[in-house]
Amino acid sequence: MRIACPFCGERELGEFTYLGDAAPKRPSAFAADGAEQPDAQDLFFDYVYLRDNIAGDMDERWYHGGGCRSWLTVTRNTTTHEIKAVGAAPGAGAQKPAKAGATS
Amino acid sequence: MSGTRTGRISGDAAPLAFNDNPAADARQPRSVPAGTQSHRLSSGGQIDRKQPLGFTFDGKKMVGFAGDTLASALVANGVKLVGRSFKYHRPRGILTAGAEEPNALVELRSGARREPNTRATTAELYDGLAAQSQNRWPSLRHDVMAVNSLFSPIFVAGFYYKTFMWPAKLWEKLYEPAIRRAAGLGKASGEADPDHYEKAWAHCDVLVVGSGPAGLAAALAAGRAGARVILAEEDNRLGGRLLSENGEIDGKPLAEWLAGAQREIAALANIRVMTRTAVFGVYDGGTYGALERVNDHIAVPPAHQPRQRLWRIVARRAVVAAGAIERPLVFPGNDRPGVMMASAVRSYINRFAAMPGRRVALFTNNDDGWRTAEAVQRAGGTVAAVIDSRGVVPEGCRGLNLRLLGGVVSEVNGGVDGVRSIVVRDAGGRTQQIEADCLAMSGGWNPNVALSSFHRGRPVWRDDIAAFAPGQCPPGMVMVGAAGGDFSLAACLREGHAAGVDAAKDSGAKGKAGAAAQGEDEGFAIKPLWHVEGGKAFVDFQHDVTASDVKLAQREGFESVEHLKRYTTLGMATDQGKLSNVNGLALMAEATGRNIADTGTTIYRPPYAPVAIGALAGHHRDENFHAWRLTPSHHWAAARGAMFVDTGLWKRAQWYPIAGEKDWLESVTREVLAVRNGVGFCDVSTLGKVDVRGPDAGTFLDRLYINTFSSLAVGKARYGLMLREDGLVYDDGTTSRLAEDHYFLTTTTAKAGPAMQHLEYCRQVLWPELDVQLTSVTDQWAQFSIAGPNTRDLLKNLCDPAEDLSNEGFPFMGVREVSLRGGMRARLYRISFSGEMAFEIGVPARYGEAMAENLMRAGAEFGVTPYGTEALGVMRIEKGHVAGPELSGTTTADDLGLGKMMSKKKDYIGRAMAGREALVAPDRQVVVGIKPVNKANRLRSGAHVIPRGAAPGPDTDQGYLTSVCYSPMLGHWIALALVERGRERHGEIVRAYDPLRGEDMEVEITSPVFYDPEGGRQRG
Amino acid sequence: MAEYSWEAQSPLRKAFAPGRLGLASGDAGVAMTEISDFNLVQVMARRGLVANVAKAAKKAWGVLPPERPGAAVGKGATLIWTGPDQFFVLSVGNGPDPVSPLAAIFDGMASLSDQSGGRCLIRLSGARVRDALAKVSSIDLHDAVFPVGAAAATSIDHTGVNLWRRSDAANGSPVYSLLVFTSFADSLWHTLADAAAEYGVEATRTPLS
Repeated sequence: MRIACPFCGERELGEFTYLGDAAPKRPSAFAADGAEQPDAQDLFFDYVYLRDNIAGDMDERWYHGGGCRSWLTVTRNTTTHEIKAVGAAPGAGAQKPAKAGATS
Repeated sequence: MSGTRTGRISGDAAPLAFNDNPAADARQPRSVPAGTQSHRLSSGGQIDRKQPLGFTFDGKKMVGFAGDTLASALVANGVKLVGRSFKYHRPRGILTAGAEEPNALVELRSGARREPNTRATTAELYDGLAAQSQNRWPSLRHDVMAVNSLFSPIFVAGFYYKTFMWPAKLWEKLYEPAIRRAAGLGKASGEADPDHYEKAWAHCDVLVVGSGPAGLAAALAAGRAGARVILAEEDNRLGGRLLSENGEIDGKPLAEWLAGAQREIAALANIRVMTRTAVFGVYDGGTYGALERVNDHIAVPPAHQPRQRLWRIVARRAVVAAGAIERPLVFPGNDRPGVMMASAVRSYINRFAAMPGRRVALFTNNDDGWRTAEAVQRAGGTVAAVIDSRGVVPEGCRGLNLRLLGGVVSEVNGGVDGVRSIVVRDAGGRTQQIEADCLAMSGGWNPNVALSSFHRGRPVWRDDIAAFAPGQCPPGMVMVGAAGGDFSLAACLREGHAAGVDAAKDSGAKGKAGAAAQGEDEGFAIKPLWHVEGGKAFVDFQHDVTASDVKLAQREGFESVEHLKRYTTLGMATDQGKLSNVNGLALMAEATGRNIADTGTTIYRPPYAPVAIGALAGHHRDENFHAWRLTPSHHWAAARGAMFVDTGLWKRAQWYPIAGEKDWLESVTREVLAVRNGVGFCDVSTLGKVDVRGPDAGTFLDRLYINTFSSLAVGKARYGLMLREDGLVYDDGTTSRLAEDHYFLTTTTAKAGPAMQHLEYCRQVLWPELDVQLTSVTDQWAQFSIAGPNTRDLLKNLCDPAEDLSNEGFPFMGVREVSLRGGMRARLYRISFSGEMAFEIGVPARYGEAMAENLMRAGAEFGVTPYGTEALGVMRIEKGHVAGPELSGTTTADDLGLGKMMSKKKDYIGRAMAGREALVAPDRQVVVGIKPVNKANRLRSGAHVIPRGAAPGPDTDQGYLTSVCYSPMLGHWIALALVERGRERHGEIVRAYDPLRGEDMEVEITSPVFYDPEGGRQRG
Repeated sequence: MAEYSWEAQSPLRKAFAPGRLGLASGDAGVAMTEISDFNLVQVMARRGLVANVAKAAKKAWGVLPPERPGAAVGKGATLIWTGPDQFFVLSVGNGPDPVSPLAAIFDGMASLSDQSGGRCLIRLSGARVRDALAKVSSIDLHDAVFPVGAAAATSIDHTGVNLWRRSDAANGSPVYSLLVFTSFADSLWHTLADAAAEYGVEATRTPLS
């Protein structure tokens, strides 16, 4: 398999590491107001363990560790291995400015 | 002789002039050269008669010519018998002239280079080649196991499954060894292969597989247009079937046209020709596996050259012109030596100038087989008869002077020396005997669809050619010519050219592809004949599967093609069913009353042709099995005689033996005592090191670790623990704050790589809003741990006098840059893994060796001792520090006694899940110390902890010993262990039970901190 | 008091002795050269400051840092792409603190890490250099794909490397530079030498110039 890294171009599979489904979003143990999420364990249980087993196009996280060390989102057909699209993770590189107030 | 039918047979066939003149039988082939080559033609062929090559077959000396294969040289030497079959030990001869050969498998070479199961048909002859036949004893002619053939009625499909059922325990000791002795192919040498193999990458716009007319046309078209082309040919020369046929292209004889095409290809710099290279697999994204037999055609590869090279070819487009394989006919006696594929007879005559027989009979069900009759006659041989099951003469053959018999071959008479006669049976059941020393058979052609099918593309049955043609090809691939199911020369040239043009255009090439070459549009007609009843008729020659085996499988319920394959082993031999599969499917279709299309094929998987494991391993064997990493002080340690241990890819100094020490324990004990009583140092550069920089570095680390780092003062270090998101411990290490926006994070040696990936995931995916940058600096720093009560004294010698190393000037967990004598800047960290007064010191890696030297110099007056990973491990166990065996992926922070570090004020990776019921249960196994009650006893890691008096078992198992060492300070063995409710049980006597070594001893649960529990020494 | 001296050691000092390796006859098909005495600093732009970093680099060395995989030869330094919005600054030197001068140039716009000790620099050239590299690298080095100035962050033998193409040699053969982690250098040198052995190897050492 070959993956077209948006930064490096097309590379062989050996340069990449597979993580899995890109859909789950990490919940927070705290609510917006700073109080602890009462159902944090349930939210994290879903996030850590529950996955859809998709036969078809799936967004997946891949890491180009053998190249530019960017995390990628790869849209891959799980039945044919056809890769439809490859994008960079939101925080790859430094183009995206830091969010004001992120600094503690 | 009854039933002889000559002349006009039936239907619309034209009158046939037949040759029944006995005088013709006496005709010899064009004169034969002297020596052993009784069946060599005196002219023609692509062999070099000026280059005779001596070789041996089963020790017998023979001569062939340059350009021969082993098989063609054997044919030229009149050899008929080349091997014994797998199961029945039936005598077998050369059947084909190509990679599909099932019979002529030999052992090549001798000694360590002995290579079993080599196809004689693809082995190029070289001077001095030594080949041995296989699967026979004591000799090929007199094989005692041929008695198997007498029992063949019981050696049917499924025989082993049915017979050796009981008692099952006899399988390993009795049945299997006996069966393996009786049935089997060649033997491996049993010695290390003295040759080397390698792997390589190649890239192109257009990969053309095969260099017959279609492949050459494709390569020429794409090459002329300017595309980067790789033309891969498994043979040692270009041409494919052009080398074995007669005919014309563009009005020129085939050989002349081929020479011109080769000249043009050689002149095009953008075409790379790879001969002796078989494309065996298709992988995702246009990657193709190919095996180049670089030096298989000579006895010993030249110095520094590999024997074989495994290529991964990356191609935007592929044009597969892999040709077709002629199919045997299934009739009684079809496996006799001297029965040969009709196309192979043509190859031996036209390409190799070797006559497989002087009096050749031909059995065919299609037009193409007739070309063999023509070739035999052209070479001066006699065509004894043409047996065409259709009973008609093809249009193009009506002018030939041949004797046609309508009907089938129902019997082949002969022995180890080949065919003597055949029996022909007509539609009315009348038989006649025909004298012949070779029977050529043609059951039609199977397009070589394998490469089209490796992505689960299912071949499609075509009635017009009675064969499977390619179905859906993998992306970027087209099949052309005979591989695509179009057998005529004109179609091959036309389709190859068109595919070349198309592929070049797709890759952006803009040049002119020129016109397609023109060839003859000879027709192809076939009427299937799947089976002739009457006796043992072989479907799979290599695995001895007969037509009746297929029918038996059907009767016993194994109707699916996948079941048929596994029950009868049809197609499972080294030839992977290249000859046998379609015949097997057709017989199954017949037996089940289905058509072949509905019967279907088995799944195709790479490799298409055998690939040696050595080629797949390539460079990665022996000392190159994997890459290695050396520490900055490696060569210094090696010069001092250090013993090294592999830790991941690293080679780490394990201990430094000195003269007179009797074993590792004595050396390690000395190193520990030297540190505890004086001072020692250890290279700890293998720990992962990461520069975490940026304005949000502190926030980033707070989210990563269970404890807080944003509050760490500049110039301070802190021990940190990371969890996985599921709440279990991931990794630990010390992280220092070197500047407001700069942390220096360390990981364990094992997790250096994965932790970097994890950190980048957090930065790029989870928290892109944070302004933080990560760089691995593991290799930048040579890092040494200096430990022992004299550490500060040593450092005073090493550092500039101005550096204040006192407790006040450099407190525990302090970090700062210092100046060293001789002009060097270093980072100094006051951290301790050993529990002693200790520092870690870091300098750029290229000064690692100088640092080791200077540490020796600075500590000389205190007896400074370099120590290895064993002593490091002993001291951390004495101190109760957890490491890899405790960070096992099953432990929580609290299990390790570090629960108090978990911050309540912030979110961090693993926080929520760490609170799960099972992870905070009171009966969890937690880290404790273990001492043997009898102090003379040695503890063993992995020993189970069970209560006194309990029977060992899963329900009494309370944990296990994770890390074990001999403690020089305590004078006996100690261990860390994970034990249920261990923290409440200090002082309790339990048992360490080790069924692996048969040991069972009483031990005491203790605090994990065996040494200096107050920690005064490291703070002192 | 004993004398303390700090001699830098090459990670390749045991891997080879200058001279001929592999095929001994004819011209060496591959030249393998260890380059010493270089400063190497990793520059990673801080978020939102990529343009500022580029401007500062241009001012300092007269070239922009490559936005895509490439190597830009500037005045006094070569800037080698290592990943999105990050690059190496390679320059002549062997001083103890190559970071401080760059800190002044980038003044808080970028995170800087010294890698002078963290990498080994190997230069490869010769008539058969592409054939040798094809055995270890999955990168397509064809002129049309990897011209002079091209670079790649890639892997060789499971080890991360930075590979870029310099100007061709006087004899027309391509010249590649390879940065490899120091700890892997000994291993990779052997692997490269084995790959090139059938063409004959001339091994040398020289300071960066």
